[in-house]
Amino acid sequence: MGLHPSLLRLAPVLGFCLLALLSGCSDSEGLHDEELVENEATRPLPDSLSVSTPDSPLIHMEIVEDFSEEVANEMLGFSDKLRRRDFGAAAEWLAPDFVGHALSGLTPDSLESLPLESTRTEFLPASAPIVGRAGFLAALESYVGPWERVEYVQWKVKGAEFQTGKPRWGRVKYRVTVLGNAEDGSPRSLVAWGYGKQLFRDGKWTLQQFELTSLVEQQRAKRLFTDVSASAGIAHAGIRFGQPGNKSFAFNGASAGDVNGDGLVDLFVPSRPRNFLYMGKTEGGFSEEAADRGVALPAGGTGAVFFDWDDDGDADLALADVGWIERDGTPSGNPLRLYINDGTGLFTERGEEFGFDALCNGYSLTVLDDTLDGALDVFVSNYGRIAAEPNNSWTDASNGMSNILYRNEGGTRFQDKTADAGMTDSRWSYAAAAADHDLDGDQDVYVANDYSRNIFWENQGDGTFQDAAESLGLSDLGNGMGTAWGDLDNNGMLDLYVANMTSTAGSRILGRLAGQSEGDTQDLLKMAGGNSIFLNSPTETDTESSFERLPSSEGGVSASWAWSPALADLNLDGNLDVFCTNGFVTGDTAADT
Amino acid sequence: MDVATEASITAAQDVNSSLYLGLHNAQIYQDGLSFSGSERDKVWINRGPGKGFADLSDLSGADDPNDGRAVVAADFDDDGDVDLFVHNIQRERHKLFRNDAVEPGAPESGFLKIKLRGTQLAREAIGATVIVTGPHGPTAQVLSRGAGFVSSQSDELVFGLGPLKQADVEVVWPGGRRESFGALPTGSRSLLVEGSGQGEPYEAQPRPLPDPLPPGLLLEEGEILPSLTLVDANGNTATLDPVKLADGDTLFLNLWASYCAPCVAEIPDLQALEDAGEVNVVGVSVDAPASRERASQVLAKRGGSYPSFYLGAGGTGLEPLVDLERLPIPTTLVITPEGRIDTILRGPLER
Repeated sequence: MGLHPSLLRLAPVLGFCLLALLSGCSDSEGLHDEELVENEATRPLPDSLSVSTPDSPLIHMEIVEDFSEEVANEMLGFSDKLRRRDFGAAAEWLAPDFVGHALSGLTPDSLESLPLESTRTEFLPASAPIVGRAGFLAALESYVGPWERVEYVQWKVKGAEFQTGKPRWGRVKYRVTVLGNAEDGSPRSLVAWGYGKQLFRDGKWTLQQFELTSLVEQQRAKRLFTDVSASAGIAHAGIRFGQPGNKSFAFNGASAGDVNGDGLVDLFVPSRPRNFLYMGKTEGGFSEEAADRGVALPAGGTGAVFFDWDDDGDADLALADVGWIERDGTPSGNPLRLYINDGTGLFTERGEEFGFDALCNGYSLTVLDDTLDGALDVFVSNYGRIAAEPNNSWTDASNGMSNILYRNEGGTRFQDKTADAGMTDSRWSYAAAAADHDLDGDQDVYVANDYSRNIFWENQGDGTFQDAAESLGLSDLGNGMGTAWGDLDNNGMLDLYVANMTSTAGSRILGRLAGQSEGDTQDLLKMAGGNSIFLNSPTETDTESSFERLPSSEGGVSASWAWSPALADLNLDGNLDVFCTNGFVTGDTAADT
Repeated sequence: MDVATEASITAAQDVNSSLYLGLHNAQIYQDGLSFSGSERDKVWINRGPGKGFADLSDLSGADDPNDGRAVVAADFDDDGDVDLFVHNIQRERHKLFRNDAVEPGAPESGFLKIKLRGTQLAREAIGATVIVTGPHGPTAQVLSRGAGFVSSQSDELVFGLGPLKQADVEVVWPGGRRESFGALPTGSRSLLVEGSGQGEPYEAQPRPLPDPLPPGLLLEEGEILPSLTLVDANGNTATLDPVKLADGDTLFLNLWASYCAPCVAEIPDLQALEDAGEVNVVGVSVDAPASRERASQVLAKRGGSYPSFYLGAGGTGLEPLVDLERLPIPTTLVITPEGRIDTILRGPLER
């Protein structure tokens, strides 16, 4: 059969690097160029390709997980070599007898216009040239070779099945992502889904086959946002998470406010070993003034909120924290801090004096006027006692620290009125958002909980709250991380966005638990379902506010480990868009050559 | 990469506590493992009621990979659109993303900016709902303080108006009073005082957020380029001394790689410059050390005979000049005879 026609078709566009590779000038270890060339030239390639499913799959989940990890780790190096466009070195990860669908040279199937003059091209997987090892790398090189920059390549393991016995092999579901700047500097993304046959040989998992199931390219003339951190004066390089000095799970937050009343947006950013206060400058950018203004130390903190607690016209600051442990090792918590603004933007911490005396393990703080007395109250989303007592359930954990409602007594003092308000609840809360969902004048509170369903505290108008999540259609069983209100469907009513742990992370972790924990398997899997959008949809017959979940097929909800949603009209077209922070902890990139 | 971490969460009798402790065990992260890592921040653009959302994260430039937690969405430069501040847990921790998606104030990209002042209850009017009747119908936003995750937003709300010249604005104040503020013109900034029934304009305070350096470059135009310790084609330590190499002329320092087609294409052009004698050319390959030999062969094959330098063991040597992870190539620095960076040329020279 000789050289496959598709490889011939590729030949004119092969980069010089491949030619160099074929002529044997690569010095990459483990690659035997001559053998490779010979293989390519003489080995017949099939007309079609499908990675077979193990007929006797391993069923022990722990082993499947261990193998999956090994494969994922192995492929980190492959991704790294591809990102560096070191195709010679990348060949090591492919079996010499590799055969697979190329990632370029496909026939476009559909071209879709996305908002903001972006385009999305879907290619026909069936049109992918079937190639050997050199052809696979050449196809990739012909695609990214001319790019100005390859920013990111990832072979993400999205699932796997392995064959029992030896030789050890598995069918691995991959999502392959390639991001960067094309030759003209424009942003480009390529996302491929497919199945790999991964073979364990000589102590190493190599990719022996790759079957493409979808290929999508996105492009636009320019990126939507420009990173101006450095030119704005706020670039701050931190150490890697997990290293001494940055090991705490007391994730630091951020709060906007106008500290000195000059009309410019300022930012308070708790951090260790000191906090930051970025003061907006009239000429643009920021100057960092935390120490001069009294908020640099003590360092650290989670949720921070600027609000005028004594209604004197300036922005005061409340700050939460988690994770305090007494000298004798007893876990306790932290009182909230309250920084009083002297009217010029100088702060003094006086939390204890004004009633912030309860020990909290609080992540987020939420301000509302829950009794409509004109004094702004503070709701504390308390989590569990990290490192002291694990969650007692994966779907209904009840051993966190109770949330707290601090009522503001006319700007003189805060009082813990949680019990009076009926809000005592010991779920593991990460965040809450307050809004008047039915425009009846009072403010309600939605609470995002980890390891259990969320709570919607509907204000009864008499100083008490009742959980109406179920009755109003806001029940969300997930690992709730963050939540925000905004009108996503232009009916003049506030909808709700909830960020959860999703997809890969969720289903892999929770899939592992299924059948082994006390939680119901279905509940566990549902918890991995992604973020949630609840549309506030009064009907003609029922004008009361009630909510309907937007089907996930409408988009906007698939992240991985989502944290903080912000709903804003990013393109000024009259619809609110969604930005959401994402990702738990990214370790080191794969080792360099 | 999330799976990497799961390696350390071995099967245990007590799955609950082992997984929990695994997630929250800083040791595994100190060891460099990931848990749901390499997940980038998300941007979903709303396509309009009933039309769903488009995932433009990959093209957004705001898809930061450093494990974001808090976000503040506010118009930090007062140009009329919403920029993003993101607090990451590591590495580049404080990020400000300037919104360049549209040109605020252009005919299709109108906006309203609104601040509130309560008079009946709290002055800040936290919890008030503002409803603007935009091109797709009424859009509601709440003045929140503390939403998302460990995040708190500013006191100014931004509403997109699309092509509309003006839009009707209503506020539902804490307590439930619904008040109309009539039609406000596009591009306006208005303080809405409870009970006044009309917007009180406030001054724009535009404060541009300047373009950053080309990504990856750590020195700016005008700065002195220090001597760099690299290696030569044979792997021997070699010092790149800009003043010495300039030798009284202008020096073109070309950052390139053998895998980069446009870089390789311009080698003859650089050689022609060198041969013309008006400038001195020096090449610095950012190929991985294992590819040094290949790079030097490529250079020779394309006729490049100007002095060339390569990364030292472990890919080091360029730290004072560039962050290799982010550098677009080719990039050429024009250096004065005194060793000062005069101009930074991005992309191939003919551009």
